[in-house]
Amino acid sequence: MNSTALSFDALERAVAALPDNGLSALRRAALEQLRRDGLPGAREEDWKYTELSSLIEIANNWLDQGAALPAPSMRAAPDAIDATWIRIANGQIDDDSITGLPDGISVKRLSDTVPELAPAGRLGDFNIALLHDGLHISIGQDVTLQRPLGIHVCDEAGDDSVSQVRINIDVAPGSVASFVEYQVSEGEADLYSNSVINLAVADGARADYVRIQNRHKRHNQTSHLTVGLGKDARLRHTSFDLGGRLVRNDLVVDIAQPGAEADFGGLYLVGDGQHIDNHTRVDHRVGPAVSNQEYRGILDGKARGVWNGKAIVHEGADGTDAQQSNHNLLLSRNAEIDAKPELEIYADDVKCSHGTTVGQLDEAALFYLRTRGLSRRDARRMLTRAFAQATIGRTPVEQLHDFLAGAVDSRLRELMHEGDQ
Amino acid sequence: MLQIKDLDASIGGTEILRGLSLDVSAGEVHAIMGPNGSGKSTLAQVIAGHSDYEVTSGTVTFKGEDLLELEPEERAREGIFLGFQYPVEIPGVNNAILLREAVNAKRRHQGLDDVDAFEFLKLAREKMAVLGMDPQFLNRGVNEGFSGGEKKRNEILQMAMLEPSLAILDETDSGLDIDALRAVAEGINALRSPDRAIILVTHYQRVLDYVEPDHVHVLSDGRIARSGDKTLALELEDKGYDWVREAASA
Ligand SMILES: Nc1ncnc2c1ncn2[C@@H]1O[C@H](COP(=O)(O)OP(=O)(O)OP(=O)(O)O)[C@@H](O)[C@H]1O
Ligand SMILES: [Mg+2]
Repeated sequence: MNSTALSFDALERAVAALPDNGLSALRRAALEQLRRDGLPGAREEDWKYTELSSLIEIANNWLDQGAALPAPSMRAAPDAIDATWIRIANGQIDDDSITGLPDGISVKRLSDTVPELAPAGRLGDFNIALLHDGLHISIGQDVTLQRPLGIHVCDEAGDDSVSQVRINIDVAPGSVASFVEYQVSEGEADLYSNSVINLAVADGARADYVRIQNRHKRHNQTSHLTVGLGKDARLRHTSFDLGGRLVRNDLVVDIAQPGAEADFGGLYLVGDGQHIDNHTRVDHRVGPAVSNQEYRGILDGKARGVWNGKAIVHEGADGTDAQQSNHNLLLSRNAEIDAKPELEIYADDVKCSHGTTVGQLDEAALFYLRTRGLSRRDARRMLTRAFAQATIGRTPVEQLHDFLAGAVDSRLRELMHEGDQ
Repeated sequence: MLQIKDLDASIGGTEILRGLSLDVSAGEVHAIMGPNGSGKSTLAQVIAGHSDYEVTSGTVTFKGEDLLELEPEERAREGIFLGFQYPVEIPGVNNAILLREAVNAKRRHQGLDDVDAFEFLKLAREKMAVLGMDPQFLNRGVNEGFSGGEKKRNEILQMAMLEPSLAILDETDSGLDIDALRAVAEGINALRSPDRAIILVTHYQRVLDYVEPDHVHVLSDGRIARSGDKTLALELEDKGYDWVREAASA
């Protein structure tokens, strides 16, 4: 239970006020489900460190004030990323951005399809209940996308607001596609954005997925990404959390076919007043298959980070190779990280390992750099940057590396400046 | 250039240097020899400004300034270079970038503009050629996975680029093959000039055949037990350190 409860009467009114379309029945069902289950609370193991009550408060404020979705602002995606951009602003799909897409990509509004919405926990129900509309993106069979498909999620909070994003992505057999999810927000009011994305990578297909979250420092986000992998399918995923106040990411990878390969991970830069939580779960239902995850965190000031990586090797999933690691760099004594690897193995022939480190900057290296004339601050930054580079370097869509390096640099400069004070 | 007077220094409460005095003038090469654990690296680290070492008494002046007042980076920018006995591996920090940042830190201190990227690379490649280093070493992490000898050459490369007024080379000659030793010695000799000084910490006469010292000192139990000219090194090779210790206690 949360100390703050979602106000269901107001929620019900908001659900009823949404456009009546193909989603209406699903919304009502999700609302009822939510009424029974409630939102996740701190007594639950998976939510032990991440308290949602401040988000529920924002939701209640917004619901009380009529649950308006402000008109989408017309902010452009970053030029530096060469992608075909689809835009969702304040939870509303930009129609222009989903027309005239390159061959091989088809995009439909969920309300125009008979949507199948995979369960995504109670935040998934919250998402459906308040969903204005979502997208179904399909990459056709044996298509190789030349440019990444960009998903630009932007919110502008003039008043307290809540927005929902829901996307189903299918990558058909034999296709090769990359995706860039870019989440930003601005505005001085409070904001809570909740996204649920399902990515199905069919037999022999390959998907690269890069998530970049650089929201305003007072804005909050929960995200749920589920990836299903077909036979011999491959996922390479990296996520970057640079901004935000309270951020919770759930990544669920499901391996139900042999030969699949999943490489995922991310970098979180956490400063004063930020709380960033990455929960991952990979289910190895069959073997042979490989999963490999590496998350890195840099925390300064009174930052709070959480990493929880769960790998479940189900009975009979012989030939599984599951590796996980999490490395954290604490730049201040006040920063805190809760890191927990979890391995559950019910098969015999498996190769699994995990490693978690929490450390400070290497004093010997700092001194060495200073004897070369670098100020203490520059030396610290250089070593911190090197720590982050490991994640940038393994990010799949190579054209993003420069952009990411720039974004990480400028966030680190801010972060370490805050930390100096 | 460098005056050390009655220096006492300790680490973790253990006194290592006890009343060490040394005077190094511009244009000179000093060799410091001495048994393992006698305090040679301690002296080098104290001059470079390592904060683990506590100077409990004595003075160190560099170009007339109180060196002990300065941060390590300020000492570096003023022209002090320490070639580490054990150069630190820094994975993920690009060797070329560190080299350029180091050069620029010094240039900014001197009121100069940052070095031109093209000129910088050209110069670095030239110096590397002299040292017999593959230019590929520029693209690697600082000392990351370098062999012992490669690390030492990398130290000399940094020195060559930074052109310090005082270079302290802590056993930079150890672990080098014959060709590398010659190349490193050439690098050191190239730096010799009337306005620079070099302190070579070494265990071997070999390097002194190439880089002829003006003074040779024997450090023992945290102080200079004996000083002489280059013949002292030869004598040590012959007689060992016991001879110095006996003479010192006699
Ligand atoms: N943290 C420490 N605590 C206590 N003693 C220390 C510490 N660090 C170094 N020492 C001691 O200080 C002494 C001097 O060490 P130093 O490295 O200066 O010797 P050195 O003359 O350079 O020896 P070598 O020829 O082997 O390089 C040694 O006896 C060493 O064990
Ligand atoms: Mg030594």
